[in-house]
Amino acid sequence: MKIKEYFKKNQYTSILLVLMAIVLVFFTATKGNTLWSVGTWKGIFMQFPEYGVMTIGVMFCFIAGCIDMSFVMLGNFACILGVKFMAAMVTEDMSNGQVALVILGAFVIIILVGAVGGVINGVLVSKLGIPPVMATIAMQMVWLGLSTGLTQGYTVSGVPNLYIEVGHKMIFGFIPFPMLVFLICFAVAAFILKYTTYGEKLYMLGTNRKAAKFSAINTDRMIIGTFVLCDVFCCIGSMLMLSTLGSAKADYGESYVMRIILILVLAGVLPDGGMGKIINVLLSVIVIQIIASGVNMFSNLNPYHASLIWGGLLILVLIFSTRMNGESTFSKLLKPKKAKN
Amino acid sequence: MNKAALKRMTKRTEFYIFLVLIAMCIAIEIISGGQLFAADKIVTILRSMVVDGMFAMCCLVVMISGGFDLSFPAIASLASCLSATICVNFGFCETNPIIGILLAIVIGAVLGMFNGWIISNFKLNTMIVTLATQTFFTGITMGLLQLKEITSKLPKGFRNMGESYLFEVYNAAGLRSTMTSMFIFLVLLCLATSFVLKHTMFGRGLYAIGGNEVSAERAGYNVKRIKFLLYTVVGAMSGFIGIIRVSMARQAIPKALDGKEMTIIPAVILGGASIFGGEGSVFGTVCAVAIITVVSNSMLLLGIGTYWQDFFNGLVILVGITISAVQAKRRNG
Amino acid sequence: MSEYLLEMSGICKSFSGVHALDHVNFAVRPGKVMCLAGENGCGKSTLVKIISGVYTKDEGEVTFEGQKITKITPAEATQLGIQVIYQDLSIFPNLTVMENLAINSEITAGKKLVNRKRWEATAKEALSKIGYQIDLYAKMGELSVADKQLVAICRALLFNAKLIIMDEPTTALTKKEVDALFKTVRQLRDSGIAIMFISHKTEEIFEISDDVCIMRNGKNVYSGPTAELTREKYTYYLTGRELVEDRFIPKNISKEPVLRVNHLTLKDQKCKDISFSLRKGEILGVTGLLGSGRTELALSLFGLEKIESGTIELNGKDVKISSPIAAQKMKIGYVPEDRLTEGLCLQQPIADNITLSSLKRLANSFGIIKKQDIIADANIWKEKFSIATDDVRKFASTLSGGNQQKIVLSKWLSNDLDVLILNGPTVGVDVGAKQDIHHLVHELANEGLAVIIISDDLSEVVVNCSRVIVMKDGGIVGEMTGDNITEENILEIIR
Repeated sequence: MKIKEYFKKNQYTSILLVLMAIVLVFFTATKGNTLWSVGTWKGIFMQFPEYGVMTIGVMFCFIAGCIDMSFVMLGNFACILGVKFMAAMVTEDMSNGQVALVILGAFVIIILVGAVGGVINGVLVSKLGIPPVMATIAMQMVWLGLSTGLTQGYTVSGVPNLYIEVGHKMIFGFIPFPMLVFLICFAVAAFILKYTTYGEKLYMLGTNRKAAKFSAINTDRMIIGTFVLCDVFCCIGSMLMLSTLGSAKADYGESYVMRIILILVLAGVLPDGGMGKIINVLLSVIVIQIIASGVNMFSNLNPYHASLIWGGLLILVLIFSTRMNGESTFSKLLKPKKAKN
Repeated sequence: MNKAALKRMTKRTEFYIFLVLIAMCIAIEIISGGQLFAADKIVTILRSMVVDGMFAMCCLVVMISGGFDLSFPAIASLASCLSATICVNFGFCETNPIIGILLAIVIGAVLGMFNGWIISNFKLNTMIVTLATQTFFTGITMGLLQLKEITSKLPKGFRNMGESYLFEVYNAAGLRSTMTSMFIFLVLLCLATSFVLKHTMFGRGLYAIGGNEVSAERAGYNVKRIKFLLYTVVGAMSGFIGIIRVSMARQAIPKALDGKEMTIIPAVILGGASIFGGEGSVFGTVCAVAIITVVSNSMLLLGIGTYWQDFFNGLVILVGITISAVQAKRRNG
Repeated sequence: MSEYLLEMSGICKSFSGVHALDHVNFAVRPGKVMCLAGENGCGKSTLVKIISGVYTKDEGEVTFEGQKITKITPAEATQLGIQVIYQDLSIFPNLTVMENLAINSEITAGKKLVNRKRWEATAKEALSKIGYQIDLYAKMGELSVADKQLVAICRALLFNAKLIIMDEPTTALTKKEVDALFKTVRQLRDSGIAIMFISHKTEEIFEISDDVCIMRNGKNVYSGPTAELTREKYTYYLTGRELVEDRFIPKNISKEPVLRVNHLTLKDQKCKDISFSLRKGEILGVTGLLGSGRTELALSLFGLEKIESGTIELNGKDVKISSPIAAQKMKIGYVPEDRLTEGLCLQQPIADNITLSSLKRLANSFGIIKKQDIIADANIWKEKFSIATDDVRKFASTLSGGNQQKIVLSKWLSNDLDVLILNGPTVGVDVGAKQDIHHLVHELANEGLAVIIISDDLSEVVVNCSRVIVMKDGGIVGEMTGDNITEENILEIIR
């Protein structure tokens, strides 16, 4: 009885836990030795933080009832600027300390660009009233175009070795550095959502923007702030990507946009707004990554088998959750509620 | 034409889009020193409009019904590459590509039916559903079937179809450009879409559903069936477009259409379609696609590197949607 | 053949064990206007849906034109000549008037192609039925509500309607438009069509109807000719009690006005040259018909309307109220007209709704807030206003209209306020909760709050206000105090 009640109350957490169990059992049964090796899990914890951090950022947008499609391209643009800065500043005879200082400067640049991108998205959505999907798709094209124009479509290298070394460091010998960054971001985001007035207002804003406005909440500023928060998180994710790949390019991580929306919807954070728990996002990210890594263990499978499974899972979860509620909770997704005539 | 009709025309988005297109062409013509209105340039532009224009039609009808389709490039890739692979393996289409085309259409229709079944039965948000099916279909193409690139082995039938042309023109330097016959399909599809939207109850039904789904149901439309049919037809068309692309490019590359939706959807929106449904026209969409294509093709003429074309396209779309959003805001107070 | 077009007897319908309709009897005569009256949630709409075939009845008998009807689908209802004009009018805002008029009959005729000439002919025929003229090619969404309504009526007439059911058609109409609508209704009635008119506005019911059926809690408590009914009896039947509400007597009025508005004119000219003052402990009523500028006046005091000229003084100081946030800082609270879209986040917990605009008070100086503080604070208000819920963590959507309104009230009262503006405070609230809310407002005023009640419910204004301003076309046309405030006096100048 209690399980049933818990299940009803925490629909998505339950689904995700069940999914995770199924996935783990399946891969244990088929590739138990490979799955439960240090290397596999090291890989898992190395790989998901970069899009995990982005997912956390986009989650804020979704809760606010917005959607961001521009973050990956924005992150790439920011990283291109960052790398160009680092390549220009770092000389061979610099000490590690000086290089670190340059890297810090690049961080500031990347984060600032992210914040600016967030402000632009936010202004387009709140002040000009453009539907978030449209505004951010257009911005995505602009950022991609800027990066391509700036780099002529080439890869930009020149990331200092120190940067890459730190990115591959093991903290305490077993926590990969990106994982640490992810954990910090996760903790910060969870804290914001749970313990700040901003987090409290965010859910209300996402549920009913008009009512929030009538409750003396500065909705425009909230939306701009949310996009800034989102895009800054995404740029942190891009920086992790930069350390893994060692270079920046206009269209790196293109598939992350769709993957992140998929993760969030799977976690019950719908772009409808006002819904979702951060813990489900964590579970969802991990499930998605285990599937990817699991598929990777089979020599005859390629990464696209993972997307086959992801797409299938999402379809099933969507159908399942509609069925379960007796009516569609998803029907009014994404679109702003139509005004009465 | 009376005054009221004229006034109504000036209120429509597509009228302005058309003006912008004309103005832009003239501006580019002047700045580039008369290079745009050369026969070969026009032929090139029209040629590169074929696939995008046809995709835009698919996207348009879905958007009019209030939907949002992200999966059509995935359907096109899967249908065309699977069809091409089958043709290669069985030795079909060496002279006549018709079997391949039919195969692609059938595969596309089946995939579209899958979309339609989910959307009409579960009343889910179309963007999320098509995102899921897009991932799923890509998974089938690249994972399950592991379709490979087909380049030199592409059946002759496809190749011939892609290479066939209506007429040829020569530029000042004597270089030959051909007007692909695939352009006929674009024209036909546009005319057919326009006819369906304007002159059939099905087409008016799409507008009605996009305008107010509950009212459409009350008025007697079978909304479920219309939606199912719509996604099936769009799926079939996507398959067909996929084959056209394969023929024109003379190769079947499963990844070639990745991310296509991200350029088509903004173009359709620029053309006056509303993401809330119920608005949009073939003429506006064609003009918008033409604007995007002209911008992309004029980079060299204007002395700007081709690498900047994404940026300018993004800018055009950003400005376009901003203007219409600001206008809408002003209208509604 | 009986004298009735539609007769229903002993209709029962229950949803998961709850009786929505409990042995309802009523009848509609051809060529007459029948009003179906009742408070929110009394079963009016369920009844309509049974007639139109959307729901099937559990028990009872329906007779239409002497024919017994057992089961009916919406399409069959249409064929019988029953047409429902829903409150949302079921129109397509993105299509033209012509298409809106013709599309239904084209679908019913099973047409596959569009024949513009035929559509135009159909549309013209529809318009000619009531002699109504409008540009056939205008976009429906750009018409006024009144025009949309007439188009919807014309469309219904195309089906040789014998019975037209109109669901609260006057809600969004101005007085002038209501008059025009009534003219059309009478015209239809005289041509032999039966009209079922759903409303809860006393004035309208007495003006237009020949017969009345009053429903309460799923039962019909009165049905018969309107002529045999007095207003008092009507109210009694409607509410189920002799309503003797305590009139508000201000006890504690401050000398100096807390709010003074001088020659206020709004940018959109919805309010022109408005001047009044408000003292603490007073309840000021602002009344007027829809479109009289009453809501805009309230919004301008809450920072949501642009001001062209004139000043607003708070405690003797000139202020500029630029946004709701500024209004909150100046201790002005506003309970909006449309609770569902403007007042509440329905799919969020009650507690979060109550504390939404006073989060700063609950948070520490770093903006950090604890969930249990929110719940504790919400529980205080739950006790104080006796909000009927067992757990404030439940969604606001689980509550009834009255309790929802109490949430919106507590949201503002948990701020430190000088002025509270209530716009339609009891719309869609049942009688019991209505009195609760009124008492609450009386108490607040006597504790020293300055209250403005904006309402078109005259009895509410009369009972609750110590002073009343009547608005018309954006200006003030009358002001009354004390015993001069009567429904008759207000009615005299309101039109």
